[in-house]
Amino acid sequence: MRTYELVIVADPRLTDDEMVTLTEDYKKMITAGGAEVTKEESWGRRKLAYPIAKLNEARYVLICVSTDGKSPLPEVELRLRQNDKVLRYLTVRTDRNGKPIPPPQPREERGPQGPGGPGAGRDFGAPSRGERGESGEEN
Amino acid sequence: MARPKAPERPKKKVFFRRRKVCKFCVDKTEWVDYKDTKLLQGFILERAKILPRRISGTCARHQRMVQEAIKRSRHLALIPFTAD
Repeated sequence: MRTYELVIVADPRLTDDEMVTLTEDYKKMITAGGAEVTKEESWGRRKLAYPIAKLNEARYVLICVSTDGKSPLPEVELRLRQNDKVLRYLTVRTDRNGKPIPPPQPREERGPQGPGGPGAGRDFGAPSRGERGESGEEN
Repeated sequence: MARPKAPERPKKKVFFRRRKVCKFCVDKTEWVDYKDTKLLQGFILERAKILPRRISGTCARHQRMVQEAIKRSRHLALIPFTAD
């Protein structure tokens, strides 16, 4: 069994309804291609880390797909590329040796580098914000 | 070969540097999620460069996963390519 994740970054000027139809269209394509949509998650409008097509926001949708036979994704990707309402997309294979990769363990129990945590130094995990930049010059 | 040098060598300052531990090995992580921007933010420098392994202490295998995740995340504009 193969599992995939598909993230679509769409134009923020779409209305909620338009966005729903857009995702439904792609979901239909996926199911028509012999795969199954296991999860769908809308992240709503999010600010972009950098402007894309002069837009500073976008709508995000995550679709999880699983299939036993052939993947419908090449065709879906083709359509995504042709759709100018879609700013970006990303498909990622999320299984390894036929098994879905277990989701990352919750990090809270250890929390070695909580944001700005007192013990979060450069010895363990990433340095906290204040120490960045100059830490490379040590040694 | 004898070793005559040992006694007269001037004493060097001994540094004890805490051994860096790969945090993903500790957590037994098998996959770094590109959607986890909170986590990935901790692995980019203020110029938005990827934090080198030498500083974070991440092992080679997990650094590859972090790198991949950061690049995916950048593509989706979840985290920046550069600081502006």
